[in-house]
Amino acid sequence: MTETPFHDKPRTSCALGGALAAISALPDVVPIIHAATGCGGNLMNSVAFGAGYLGSSYCSGASAPTSAVTETEIVFGGAERLREQIASTLKLIEGKLYLVATGCMTEMIGDDAGGAASEFAEAGEPVLAISTPSFKGDCYTGYEILLDGIFNRWLRKAGAADPRLINVFGVVPGYDPFFRGDLEEIERIGARLGLKVNTFFSPTQTFENITAAPEAALNVILSRTRCRGFAERFEEKHGVPWWATDLPVGPEATDAFIRELAAKLGIDGAERVVAAENEWYYRYFERTADSYADGELRFYSVTVTNSNYALPLNKYLYRELGWTPAEIFVTDRLEEARREDLLAGFAELPVKPRFVSGSQEIARSIDQGRPVYRGQRYFDALTPLYIVGSTLEKQMALRRGAKYLAVSFPAYDRAIVAGGYAGYRGGLRLYEDLIGSFMSAKG
Amino acid sequence: MGKKLKQIAIYGKGGIGKSTTTSNLSAALSSLGYKVMQFGCDPKADSTNTLRGGSYIPTVLDTLREKGAVKARDVIYEGFNGICCVESGGPAPGVGCAGRGIITAVELFKQQKIFEELDLDCVIYDVLGDVVCGGFAMPIREGIAQHVFTVSSADFMSVYASNNLFKGIKKYSNSGGALLGGIVANSMNAGYSRDIVDDFAARTKTQIVQYVPRSITVTQCELKGKTVIEAAPDSEQARVYRELAECVAAHEESRTPAPLELRELQEWAAKWSDKLLELETGTVPGGQAAGI
Ligand SMILES: Nc1ncnc2c1ncn2[C@@H]1O[C@H](COP(=O)(O)OP(=O)(O)O)[C@@H](O)[C@H]1O
Ligand SMILES: [Mg+2]
Repeated sequence: MTETPFHDKPRTSCALGGALAAISALPDVVPIIHAATGCGGNLMNSVAFGAGYLGSSYCSGASAPTSAVTETEIVFGGAERLREQIASTLKLIEGKLYLVATGCMTEMIGDDAGGAASEFAEAGEPVLAISTPSFKGDCYTGYEILLDGIFNRWLRKAGAADPRLINVFGVVPGYDPFFRGDLEEIERIGARLGLKVNTFFSPTQTFENITAAPEAALNVILSRTRCRGFAERFEEKHGVPWWATDLPVGPEATDAFIRELAAKLGIDGAERVVAAENEWYYRYFERTADSYADGELRFYSVTVTNSNYALPLNKYLYRELGWTPAEIFVTDRLEEARREDLLAGFAELPVKPRFVSGSQEIARSIDQGRPVYRGQRYFDALTPLYIVGSTLEKQMALRRGAKYLAVSFPAYDRAIVAGGYAGYRGGLRLYEDLIGSFMSAKG
Repeated sequence: MGKKLKQIAIYGKGGIGKSTTTSNLSAALSSLGYKVMQFGCDPKADSTNTLRGGSYIPTVLDTLREKGAVKARDVIYEGFNGICCVESGGPAPGVGCAGRGIITAVELFKQQKIFEELDLDCVIYDVLGDVVCGGFAMPIREGIAQHVFTVSSADFMSVYASNNLFKGIKKYSNSGGALLGGIVANSMNAGYSRDIVDDFAARTKTQIVQYVPRSITVTQCELKGKTVIEAAPDSEQARVYRELAECVAAHEESRTPAPLELRELQEWAAKWSDKLLELETGTVPGGQAAGI
């Protein structure tokens, strides 16, 4: 049998890539890339196409200012070129915060981007430098470096705290392709509890959400694996406590999220919101029961996602839809301690995640340890199978005759705009997408 | 030397006498009739000063920075007896990447095939101190220098730098890089200093190509902006450098050195320390004769 080889495309990009994707979602924040020619453009393509055609925004992507250093700057130092670039960007581009983000080359030669940025900052310009070479980590690390820069270095301490204000972090723009829809659902749920919610990266947000962040009563980290250090430093500087949980997907997880959040903040109203949201959710969901039961829409599931989405997604498939998890692949690089944190969340699921990112290896390991058909009467053939992963899993799914939906990066066989899977609304949308993706073959 | 271009790289700890030795070697080779280029690979760009009356020349990288492109011919300056003088130059201290600068400058010359055009017999690269990064190892990579000589005194730090260099040479030796020709023992005055460098050479499986004494003649000539060969051709010191030149001209076969591990090097140094102490305190006779 000849195997069609997979093209192993990456499921991540570098620290600079993560930072740039996040900056592109921040209103009035302008990136200034201090890197070699090519970095900015290539990294823009990563999310502009790979995150459900996220595209670019004001002064992001292909129009991001860059120092575009070449050999002369590498040999003689690029700080002068950077100063020039900062000055011209300040002159030409309107913004409320200018973020110098460095690439590998300029870090390797030891350019003092921080020094250049502070010269402007001392002159009263809102300029800040963050150090994001790829050798510091992947896009997820880059997102955290960015947060650290803005919230823990640039923002000043707040005066009074607002007991009804919360900040949400942990959802990574672009590399969590549904970040906007997911964050907006969290905002909506928070509002129902009478909260103001800073999510920073959704289109409802303005620059004032950033500057108000130190006044929050709680930082909600929607990730078991990201932003720990960031949250700790935030607490140290601004005195805001933090709570790490998962992105809630579907009613059960969201009920628990609402109750716990209300308890953390010491506010009432959780039960009222939970009751009303469930009423709404199930008036939709009950009507899917006919097709769901009669159509036998239950599957074995294989998921391929980053560590942020693995647990929320699998909980939903297992507990809301009653599917049978067969394999859970977590594709982002994690330190041992963070893996442990993640594994702890899987206690109530029948399958533990495996930490693999290569497409070939994922395809191979789905069958590993499973009985192979040798004429037995009863044989667990892993069908019907549903693969919920990235577009990189599509060919594997087609070969196996499995149902398939892209929900993780890179997702370039679908468009993602305002959609998201968080909360009650997201739960229904996930159902629509999962079932709709193969129903579309009918007719 | 025939018509085959011989490319040599000189390494050693900073301030040990690389440029002094290199310039005198270039001058002596040229007075023996060879067509020589001296290529300074130190961002300080002072390698060829004594070949040009003590003056600095515009560097490859400065020219590149100003003009955007460099014709090799434009950055070659004529020195004593027709020696071609080149300085790679580099960034200001503390910024940029001097290592990359060396690579850029050396590559630029290689691409333009200028050595062939000038019909050179010998190119000598005078490279900054330790092999601190890939850039300073450039001259010993495949296709550049064939032979490396290290300038070393009997001081431990100098020996340490040479040993590091040997590590670099060994690393590149499997991929066609330059091999070690030997050690130029510089500032060889005290009697025991010869014994130390001799012992180090033996331990690392290499040889001493010349013992160069520390001499006031060098200082006097340097103050006039000249090499000993040019300013004091009849001096004893000039004879020493000429002998070195003959040795280098005749040198064909370089070898992979056997650098010492750090612990071995420390033990080696400790052994010498004990020995010198014994000589000094007179436990062992011969201290006077050994220059202590
Ligand atoms: N054999 C020697 N006798 C006297 N002075 C020497 C001798 N070798 C080097 N020097 C002096 O030592 C100083 C440093 O030498 P230099 O060749 O510039 O070192 P490097 O190039 O290794 O940094 C110079 O002032 C030089 O005149
Ligand atoms: Mg020198």
